[in-house]
Parts: sequence; structure tokens; C-alpha cells
Amino acid sequence: MSDAVIVFDNVHKSYRDVKAVDGVSFDVAPSTCFGLLGRNGAGKSTIMRLIYRKAERDPEPRGKVSVFGFDPERDELEVKCRSGVVPQDDNLDEELNVSQNLRVFARLYGIPVKRAESRMAELLDFMELREKAQASIRELSGGMKRRLVIVRALLNEPRLLILDEPTTGLDPQVRHTIWDKLRQLKRGGLTIMLTTHYMEEAFQLCDDVLILENGQAVLRGNPKQLLASHIEPYVLELTDVKLAPQALERLPAGAARVERSDESVRIYATDYAVLKAVADQLPPGDHHLRPSTLEDVFLKATGRRLDARQ
Amino acid sequence: MPASDIRPPRLGARLYSVWHRHMRVYTRHLVSNGLPPFLDPVIFLLGIGLGLGRYITAMDSLPYLVFLATALPVTSAMFTASYECTFATFVRLEFQKAYDGMVSAPVTLNDLFVGEILWAGSKGLFFSACVVLVMSLFGAIPLPMGLLAVPIGFLTGAMFGALALLVTSFVQNINHFNFYFTGFLSPMFFFSGTFFPLSSLPRALRSMAELLPLTHAVRLTRSLALARFSPVLLADLAFLIVVTLVAGYLAIRRLRRRIVV
Repeated sequence: MSDAVIVFDNVHKSYRDVKAVDGVSFDVAPSTCFGLLGRNGAGKSTIMRLIYRKAERDPEPRGKVSVFGFDPERDELEVKCRSGVVPQDDNLDEELNVSQNLRVFARLYGIPVKRAESRMAELLDFMELREKAQASIRELSGGMKRRLVIVRALLNEPRLLILDEPTTGLDPQVRHTIWDKLRQLKRGGLTIMLTTHYMEEAFQLCDDVLILENGQAVLRGNPKQLLASHIEPYVLELTDVKLAPQALERLPAGAARVERSDESVRIYATDYAVLKAVADQLPPGDHHLRPSTLEDVFLKATGRRLDARQ
Repeated sequence: MPASDIRPPRLGARLYSVWHRHMRVYTRHLVSNGLPPFLDPVIFLLGIGLGLGRYITAMDSLPYLVFLATALPVTSAMFTASYECTFATFVRLEFQKAYDGMVSAPVTLNDLFVGEILWAGSKGLFFSACVVLVMSLFGAIPLPMGLLAVPIGFLTGAMFGALALLVTSFVQNINHFNFYFTGFLSPMFFFSGTFFPLSSLPRALRSMAELLPLTHAVRLTRSLALARFSPVLLADLAFLIVVTLVAGYLAIRRLRRRIVV
């Protein structure tokens, strides 16, 4: 795909003896939202940093990264002037207030002062922060800080918005507001790349997701299609393992797939009626029959156990 | 505007925008930041005029007050630049993660720290200008020649800014800056010809004093202010510039590894 905004081709990145990114390839089409999923330590943030040269890839094997046709390691300014970055930590300048933070950034982007002022007013409105324009950073709540960082990343009218865990630690109201804004921006033609631990977020926003495990891509596709093709549509969750023998003996052979962890059992099936029949026989409580979600796909692809990097 | 028409800012604009950030932060607290550079020399004058100056009247064939006052613009520049690029830089680097934010904008790491060294130089310039102003009111620094101390204040600030960045690049714990201040800057304050001429030192110590960066800044300022020109001053000037370039280069190389990971 020659018109892709981001192309990663066999990219490697190591920290001492840990391979953070291990031969990852993908591409991001214009005006789409691309999501990176994976546990902590899977390599999501490293990939984000490689895009705007906050990290440098391994010299061997070299691999290729192209953003708007530029290699970030050769033309970092070309990449950065077309991008907006929302990093995982809200690294706002605490020595300055809200407006001053934005003015300093507008200058870093080389935006003329008048243009910057109107852009700031417009974006503070858009992110519902207008009345906080003169507030100090310490007065802001977590949700306001996050929205301010997004405002900061949009000052230069970027063509690409990079968000590393945009809604981690935020309440549902703020999260839904941010989702709405991001959808609006995408409709306006912006290409969005984000990482998240919330499968619901990926499902709501992303046209394409890439699931990473130990620095390698394990699954890629449209969330709705992954849900349709990679998991049974229904799951009966038993949150008390003592119910398992009773439930399993009523299952027709081959009708379901069973996943076990220490304290719970999940029974996946294509046929809703089969699971319903089992559930109806169980005593009430400690079980729940529901449609499968992207989280089920994710756990199937990456396993339920914790690994050393988490 | 199509993506292909977007251009990153030019080098000058990038350096200025970094400098501008520091200027904004500094001028936010005008009283607490703007008063000390004037008060320091006043307190100094009182201490010397009322105290020490009664016992020591002349030094190196100069009135003692003039001898001290002509070194003070650069020692003041040294301390302000050193604080700026140690403690303040470390807080931005490790606690606030301000650089992590800034490098997502179209500035390179070189821009970031060259801008910071220029800022340290500007603070040096401002502080030495304050000293020259106060001292000249009391006749301790002659005008107009004393004004030449101001650009030397810039070079001194930039040099100690670059040296401080190099120190910061090694420091993992903010308390370790105390070693730099008590172990290097304080002794240098005394042994660089500030309080007594180097000619009074034993020969071995004298050549060691020539290795201290402040020695060259003090000799330059005092000689220029008193219009005592000599070719040695060119060597002093070269020393300031070379130390700034070498320390700055090494500092940026090392700091890069702490930001680009």
C-alpha cells in the first residue's frame, strides 16, 4: 500500500537482552484508526515511540519505518511537524498554566501567534476546557489533563494523531467524551494510532487492530471481523469453579470449547441454545451467559496467564 | 493544506522557541526571580564597604572594592547558569518529564539543549548586567568599559550551562549535585583570581588555576572593564568558547541516551 500513512516492515528494537519489538510489520491507511493491543511489556509503547523517534530501532536487522514517506530516524522533523503525540504520562509543563503550555507548544510548532490564539480557543472549546484556560496544571483533574494533552497534540492540525493509552485511569464519562471527539476527528480525515488495554475502546474506535505478544504480532484485523471469525459468539462464564463438573457433564460432546483459570471457567459455543440449556440447570448466581467480546478474542490470542514482563 | 506542503520550523525558530519556553517560565515570577540579581551585589557592597574593605584597602595595585567588583559579574553568571542547568534541568528531565513532551514537537534533541545553553548564557548576561549596573552606581566598575563585562557574562553563562549539563548527564540522584557545587564551583570561586590575584599563589597552584574555567572569565572581565588589553585575553576568550563547545557536545550526546530510548 503506497498511500499508507505509517509503514512498519520487519522492525526490531531491543533493550539490553529484552526484545521489545521483534520483527513487527503493519501499515496504517489514511483516515483510519489503528489500535495496538497487548499486555504491559508487549511492545506497544515502544512502537509508538519509534514513530516519532522517541526511540531508535535496532541497527541489525535494520527493518524499515516510514511515516508520511519519511524515515523518522532521518527526517524526524518532517514526521513530527505532521503529527500530534499524546504520550502515556501527561507530561505537561507544571511551571506554566494551561494557556502558556499551549502557547509554548504553538511556538515549538512554528505556528504564527495570531493563528495559535484562535486555534487554542477553538480546541479548548472542542475539548470542553475553555473555562480552565488560565488554570494552573496542578488544579486540573486527571481527565482535564488528558484532554489538555490532546488539545496540545492537535494545535498544529496534525495529519496523524498518536495516542498512548488515551483513557487509562479516566472515568466513564470522560472516556466516552474522548471517544466521541476522536471519532469526530477521524471523520474529519485524521489518521489515528492508539494503544489501549480496553477492548471496548478498541472495538468502539478502531478500524484495524494489531494484537502483540512478546514484541510480535499475533493477530491483526478489523475488530468486528475478528470477533466474527476468531471466537465463538457466546460464552457461559462460571465464576465459581465448583459449578464446572455439573455444567460440563450437561454439554453435548464437541459443542463447546472450555477455558479454565484458577478461579473461573468459560464455556464458548456457537449455539446459544446449548449454553442456555446448561445455564438453566445451574443454581442461580456465580454464572453468566453473554455474547463474546473482543476481550475474549484477546485472551484467546494471548493466553490468560501473567508473564514475566507484566 | 496537503501534508506535503507542511514544513518544519527552521533552526533559528526552533532554538528560539526552546529559549522562549525558559524565558516564559523565568518571567512568570518576576519579583522572586528578578530581585536577587540586584540584591546580591548590594549585599556584597555592604559587606565589603562596611567590613572587609576597612582592613584590606588595595589588591594588585587596585582599590580592593574595584578588584572584587570587576570579578563579580562573571561569578554571578557562573552560579545562575550552574543552578539552571543542574537542579532545574534535572527536574525537567526526571520529575516533570518536560523534555519528553517537548521532543514530540518538531524540535530535535540538539535544538533542545543548544537552546538551553543559550538560555543559560542569557541568564548569565542578565545577571552580569545587574551587577555592572549596581557596581557602576557606586563607582566600583568604571563605565563605559565596564559594559564589556555583559557579553562576557553571556559567554560565562553559556560555558557553565554546558558544563552543568554535562554533570547532569551523569547524575541519577538530585542530591549528587552538591558534590559539583561544593567540590568544584565553590573552590573555583576562591581560586580563580576573584578575591586575590593568582600571582600570589605558588607556581604549581598557579598553573592549576589556569585550568579552571572561571579564571579565564574573571581575567577577561576585569581586564576589559579596566581597559587593560593584552593578547592573553584572546586566549581567555578562546578558552571559554572551546570549553562551551566541547562540554556542550559531550553533554548532548549523553543526555540523548536518557531521552531517546
